[in-house]
Formats: sequence, C-alpha cells, structure tokens
Amino acid sequence: MTLLHRDPNAPLAWLGDLPVENRYTFGLAGEKFFRALKDNGQILGTHCTNCDITYVPATVFCERCLSQLDEWVDVGTTGEVVTFTFLFVNLDGTPRQEPEIIAFVRFADGGLIHRLGDVEPEQVEFGMAVQAVFKPASERTGSILDIDHFKPV
Amino acid sequence: MTAKIKEFPGISLSEQDFADGKILFNFDKLNGIYAWDTGVGIGSYLASLKNGVILGSRCNTCRKIVVPPRVVCEQCYRPMDEYVPLQDTGTVNTFSLCYVTWDVKRITDPQIPAVIEIDGASPLHGIMHMLGEVDPQAVKIGMRVKAVWKPAEERQGSVNDILYFKPIEED
Repeated sequence: MTLLHRDPNAPLAWLGDLPVENRYTFGLAGEKFFRALKDNGQILGTHCTNCDITYVPATVFCERCLSQLDEWVDVGTTGEVVTFTFLFVNLDGTPRQEPEIIAFVRFADGGLIHRLGDVEPEQVEFGMAVQAVFKPASERTGSILDIDHFKPV
Repeated sequence: MTAKIKEFPGISLSEQDFADGKILFNFDKLNGIYAWDTGVGIGSYLASLKNGVILGSRCNTCRKIVVPPRVVCEQCYRPMDEYVPLQDTGTVNTFSLCYVTWDVKRITDPQIPAVIEIDGASPLHGIMHMLGEVDPQAVKIGMRVKAVWKPAEERQGSVNDILYFKPIEED
C-alpha cells in the first residue's frame, strides 16, 4: 500500500533513444574480399597449402594450423545450396506473403549466407547450383549486398 | 604512444580515410528507442519540475525527507507519508570538472556535474545536476547554489527543466 498518489499531470513514461551507432571495418582480409566484390564482381578465398583448405570469405590466418595465408583464389560466382530456410516475417515483425529465401551457399570449403531469388520456394533444393547476381557496378558499396541475390544456374 | 612503444602495430585510420573511401566499412545504428514507466514518485517529481518545484517526500516515522520522492522509505520500508515541495537552493556535496563530453569529445571549458543537497531535504539527500555561471577553479564543496530554470513555457517535465545551478551569495 502506498499513501502517495501519482500526480495526474505526470508523464506515463519517459521516452528516450539510445544513440548507439557503430562503424565496422572488415580487417585485412575483409577489406580485400569486399574490394574485389565491389570492383571486380569476384568472390575471393584464401588457400592454406598446409591443410589444403580454401576459406571463403577470405581470412588472413588458417583456423586449423594458424599459419598466415597469402594465396588468394577466385572461387567463381557459382556455389551450391547447402541449406536454406523461408522467412515469412520481416525484420520489423510484419508478415510477408511471399517468403524471403535465405540459403547457405557453399564456395570451396566455406560459403556465404545470402538470399535466393528468381526461383519459386517449391523449386529450392539442397545441392542446387546457384549463381551470384551482382548489382550494377555503380550501385555497389563494398558490402555483401553488392550481390543482390543468388539465382539457380 | 608510451615510453617503450613508439608505434602501435596495426593500421591507424583517420576520419579522412573514411570520407575519402580509402577503407570499406559497415555503418549500423541500433534501434535504441525505449519507454521507461516513471512510476508514482518520479512521475510526480517530473510533473512538479514542470511547475518549477523540486518535490521530495517525507517519512514521518524516520523524520526523513528524500529527493526525488520515493513512495517507500528506504530506511524503514514503510510507505512515505506525504509529498514535500522543497527549495530550489542547495549545497554542493561533491563535484567534478569534466573535460570530456558524454560522447567522448574533448572540450576546453569543463562541464561541472555535481551532487547538490537540496534545501528542505534531509542532510546528504540531493540530486545530481550541472553547475553553471561559475569559474571552474572557484567551485568548492559546501558552496551554496540556486537552480536556474528554463522559461515556464519551455519546461517539459524533465530534470533538464533546470538548466544548471549557479552560486549564490549569502551572509
């Protein structure tokens, strides 16, 4: 029980906005990876000769033997759907009629998570070969979204 | 740099490098919108600030007046008995000279956050605010100060309805 009452003119809630902003730089390998994506429309990986593993996206160190990687390889723009999911809800929580199709696309020993397009949801299969569809060079910003989507080959 | 380390490893980046497009980066702004229920005590406190009054609350059992008002006494856990309008004058309990803003920008004229014991509240009970119209080097613990309010029409029911506290001369 309280004896004090709330002032009827009191605000119901204090409204605020936390100004949380961040700027993420991609690092040594990331810089080169996204630069190639932006300027040349290439997907690059790095190869560890010791372990015979090709990392995509490119890394500067081998995760297995920790050796420095400087052998860069162009892995092409066609990969393989390893797994996928349908999203029926947008980021802001609103429902969607047509699902967004998100897939893990394998390149060499790594791969990229991206969306699939130009394909009906029923047609998507595991192991399907898909190709990157790039945005026009003038619209690319050095982001993974420079690839607009992946489409079946 | 330090005495032993002349140059840190890695690549230093300046704001200009980002502007010139020398480096690729991802900018992200998190959605930090929130609504905080002000509750009985703080809600009433904010409403009375809009009217130019600093509000406290009294526990008759402990004979204690706290600011901002609480609905439960922190000492005896009984309900507080009544709201008490307090003075807008007080005494500096502690302060700091702050040469960096909240978003880490260097400034030459320091901001002076201070805890001010409000007149009318029990000893050592006060609020945190800024000091103004004062030479930073002249600020002393125990200094008498008075609130400088925003014009009534600009007040929004916020602690910022008080612009700052300024020193007052007393005999």
